[in-house]
Amino acid sequence: MKRQWVVVLALVIVASVAFAAVRVSSSSAGARQTSVNKAVSGTITFDGIWTASSGQKQFQDVINAFQKLYPKVHVNYKPVGNDLPTVLATAVAGGHPPDMADIAQPGTVKQFATEGKLKPITYASSVIGKNFAPAWKKLGTFDGKLYALVFKAANKSVVWYNVPAFKTAGVSPPTTFSQLLKDAQTIKASGTPAYSIGGADGWTLTDMFENIYLRTFGAAKYDALSAHKIKWTDKSVTTALKTMAKIVGDTSNIYGGTSGALQYGFNDSVTNAFASPAKAAMVFEADFVGGVITSSTKAKPKTGFNTFTWPSITPGPDAGAVEIAGDLFVTFRDNPAIEAFVKYLATPQAAEIWARQGGFGTGNHNVPASVYPDPITKATEAPILTAKSVVFDMSDNQPPAFGSTSGQGEWGLFQQFLRNPKNISGVQKKLESAAAAAYKK
Amino acid sequence: MAATTAGAIVIPDPQDRVAVRILRFVAKAPVHLVLVIIGAAWLVPTIGLFITSILPASALASKGWWQIFSHPSLATWANYHALFQNAGLVTALKTTAYIAVGNTALVVIIGAMAGYAFAWLDFPGRDWLFIIVIGLLVVPLQMALIPMFKVYDTFGLFDTWYGIALFHTAFGLPFAIFLLRNFFVGLPKDILESARIDGASEFRIFIRLILPLGLPAIASLGIFQFLWTWNDLLVALTFGQNTTPITVWIAGQLREFGTSIDIIAPASFISLVIPLGVFLAFQRYFVQGLLAGSVK
Amino acid sequence: MAAPPPSREPGKLGRYLTGAVFLAPALFMLGVWMVYPAVYTIVRSFFGPTGFFGTWVGIDNYKSLFTTSTLTTAIKNNAIWVAVVPAFVTAVGLIFAVLTERVRWSVAFKTAVFLPMAISAFATGVTWRIMYQQDPGLGAINALGKTVSGIVSPAGVLPSALPSTPNLVPKNGGLVLKTPVHPGGVALLGLTGIAPTAMPGGAKQAVTPPAKPGAIVGTVWRDFKPGGGKPGVVETGELGLPRVTVELESSTGKTVQSTRSADDGSFTFSNVPPGTYNAGVGASTFAKPFGGYAWLGPNLITPSLLIAYIWIWAGFAMVVIAAGLSAMSREVLEAARTDGASEWQTFRRVTVPLLAPVLSVVFVTMIINVLKVFDIVYALAPQSAYQNANVLALAMYFTAFQGAGNFGIGSAIAVFLFLLVVPVLLLNIRRFRREV
Repeated sequence: MKRQWVVVLALVIVASVAFAAVRVSSSSAGARQTSVNKAVSGTITFDGIWTASSGQKQFQDVINAFQKLYPKVHVNYKPVGNDLPTVLATAVAGGHPPDMADIAQPGTVKQFATEGKLKPITYASSVIGKNFAPAWKKLGTFDGKLYALVFKAANKSVVWYNVPAFKTAGVSPPTTFSQLLKDAQTIKASGTPAYSIGGADGWTLTDMFENIYLRTFGAAKYDALSAHKIKWTDKSVTTALKTMAKIVGDTSNIYGGTSGALQYGFNDSVTNAFASPAKAAMVFEADFVGGVITSSTKAKPKTGFNTFTWPSITPGPDAGAVEIAGDLFVTFRDNPAIEAFVKYLATPQAAEIWARQGGFGTGNHNVPASVYPDPITKATEAPILTAKSVVFDMSDNQPPAFGSTSGQGEWGLFQQFLRNPKNISGVQKKLESAAAAAYKK
Repeated sequence: MAATTAGAIVIPDPQDRVAVRILRFVAKAPVHLVLVIIGAAWLVPTIGLFITSILPASALASKGWWQIFSHPSLATWANYHALFQNAGLVTALKTTAYIAVGNTALVVIIGAMAGYAFAWLDFPGRDWLFIIVIGLLVVPLQMALIPMFKVYDTFGLFDTWYGIALFHTAFGLPFAIFLLRNFFVGLPKDILESARIDGASEFRIFIRLILPLGLPAIASLGIFQFLWTWNDLLVALTFGQNTTPITVWIAGQLREFGTSIDIIAPASFISLVIPLGVFLAFQRYFVQGLLAGSVK
Repeated sequence: MAAPPPSREPGKLGRYLTGAVFLAPALFMLGVWMVYPAVYTIVRSFFGPTGFFGTWVGIDNYKSLFTTSTLTTAIKNNAIWVAVVPAFVTAVGLIFAVLTERVRWSVAFKTAVFLPMAISAFATGVTWRIMYQQDPGLGAINALGKTVSGIVSPAGVLPSALPSTPNLVPKNGGLVLKTPVHPGGVALLGLTGIAPTAMPGGAKQAVTPPAKPGAIVGTVWRDFKPGGGKPGVVETGELGLPRVTVELESSTGKTVQSTRSADDGSFTFSNVPPGTYNAGVGASTFAKPFGGYAWLGPNLITPSLLIAYIWIWAGFAMVVIAAGLSAMSREVLEAARTDGASEWQTFRRVTVPLLAPVLSVVFVTMIINVLKVFDIVYALAPQSAYQNANVLALAMYFTAFQGAGNFGIGSAIAVFLFLLVVPVLLLNIRRFRREV
């Protein structure tokens, strides 16, 4: 019994220290903002994907800063985790959605908007316009109305590599794709497979395809395919798949071979590449890989891991284009409290609070590059703003049945492609029929 | 119950005599050996999970949990510490207790009443109604989420522990009624007959005879219902906002990207302690035996 | 609550009333929480993908049930589950219940077998997924396999090595130099794909021994320098491969000599009669260690799931059947034994039939649980195996809640699940009738 009280006391002490620390950091971040607004009041329920170990604390810091400016408004954040799409779908269908939610797929947002479940955020239009380039506003616009704010962005055109493995092989980060392929052979000869592929998560495969397509054909054609104005049976897709086969078909250069690549998910692919000794040398994935490395492996920045930009394929203005994924904030209701919160989230102050702590990329061009805490973070997040062209993750833009459903649509079909990279025309045909079916609805 | 010697008062055999009898079935030593081997093999995954919970995530990235046998110094309680840092853990456990205990009690009572009705009360349409009830076993939780959302909204049951508990009660009833009815049906008919002839009301029969006689089944039902609701995630996630039982709390700790085995493993063990305690406390009722003090 | 007046034969109204009172709470809860959603689901299955009701589509949803390959695989898999699991679990539970009844330490055993049920399905799925990993270094089951196969067929020294030049070609599991050598010649066998940490111990800088008349000399070495180096050429910084079995083949393909390389990779075949020979590295060098079975791959995923599921639910069967055993009337057993029945006969003819109601609860519950199985497949099977592991409840979850959110088809799947149970119920009607 006594022990129980000691534990409770310990928890209380820890909690108060943590709380005090948070208050200190958020008060210094909010120092720039204007006066406190006591007129607006209310509670906002927010369903988000960030949990205690991945972003909840940072987002809570943003919330706290907002609540300092609007002391009568309380934001109630619910960390749902990876089940968010299900919980949200149920809540919306059942007629009891939260006030706000964080949705990663524009395709899903479009669906909700078309069904009339979302409230437009036109009141935030000018704030967003002041801080974001027009392309970002367009990302949140559906049927001519502004529905979503892209609060957080992830750079998906990043490759993470194992520094000791590269050193053993005597290669340095490649800048072109042909150099990458050559380096991969050298790395294989040095005794480590070059590629760590997390094919169990279909989206890692679609990301690879999208980067290849983007760098081969440019942003305009990418957007056309994304909107299904180009069919998946098009010759450009064939070329991109053939290029992709040069990586996924090089089975002896993939850790675990094809069978392993299909069983390892994204997390495994990262831990495999940065275990010591390294089981593979490279992971093709986004800026959030860094968080996985630090939480699940012993690798250290610069000495253990580092990054380089996705190699260019076709020289030209889009050679360094950046593909992003993002968190879109939407509102299911409209009241002064919600409007105040949305407008606040579009300001650079809100973004800076999180950006300062790492693991956060933004399209807000009023956020200075100096705010990123370390060089590797800066190298992965800054290009979101500095790249000449920025496109959104293609599979996230598709109708969800095609672009983001486990085991089917793009995800499932690219896994089939990984299993048999020679059957390019077969995969194309299946992709096109799945896309056509999804777009018909 | 099949043909019993008519009318005689049944006195239970002490367990020992039963044990000695079945002893002739198989010689003792091989059975012990077989059970030990099977028991040990059965425990391996659970032991593995425990060892995983005391290893740091980075160690598990390159080697399996059996590395602890060659590097015992890797063991650490850090994962558990990290969990307890969060004040939400205790609240979550309390909420889970409310939900689990609340709905288990309800299921046992309501289920026993209905089970008795289907077993020993005679009314028209009884058998068909029973079959429909069993048929409801098939209804998957997921399909009830959306229609119930509207109902919960209207009656203000959203985000309450009792709202969640009621959901579990309803979904636990088909199995409860099925199990208890089939169990009650096997009880000695003559005792019930004589009680009825003596003028006891159905309620008295239910409370004084059926419940004590049915204790083994009721105890096992109680354990499972408690367990299933203790470990439920979907219902609590859907119908709660601030009401967070332990499963939802754990889910809210997991990383969006990255293996969360250093959270899942220790959290599972923390969560496991109470249901295990319930099991150990209840399991002796299984061997309580027939007619413990209930013969009139 | 006042007790109804005592009566010998309660009238029809009295019987209804008593029955009603006992049943009322159950029926109310079942009606609201289960019957209403069930009816809603049935109705909803005839409507379109979105909205609380949506647009009428008739039987389109059911048509896609049987035409989409995802769903037909799911149906097939559910059939496998139903055929295997309930019988297995019930049998195992019965055996455990009977065996533990007469052992004094039965609580410990029961706890061990029951423990899996106390762990959440999600955690169990994750645990087994890690156990099933193909990499023998990470997955427990394959680690066991590797230990066993390591004794039976040990791996070679350089299992992952590759030739550094096209001149070295695979033959019978080993590698052979295409260019023939003659006595007085030199054979260079360069290998790559060897990680520095995988080098055999004691390796020194590779050295090519000078040519000797009447002998064939050569080097087998790690032909790699950072940056690649020049393949096929022994360079400074490249280490020889010690203790590699090098073989000399005559022009007929017969191995005439074999030797092992020194620490600097050099080897010598002495007293070679004149002729044409091919030098190469023996197959035993490249023997691959046990690579692990792909338990999570498309072929083995369903058996893997079945094993994990049985591991969880055997405890359930055991506990319920043990409860039934403990409440069994002993004098029937006594009577049977007094009549001269053997233990096995008593078990078969008396115990099992008496346990029938309890056994049928376990069996039927397992059939229905297995038709609804979701958590374990969701947590254990990797996405890439979903097509092969798919079961109806999983398909329903993904159809209704993820991506598209097609509640219409999702509801149709639920109704189909419903209908699958009907034969099970019909089979049991007879049993119920027999008992009462």
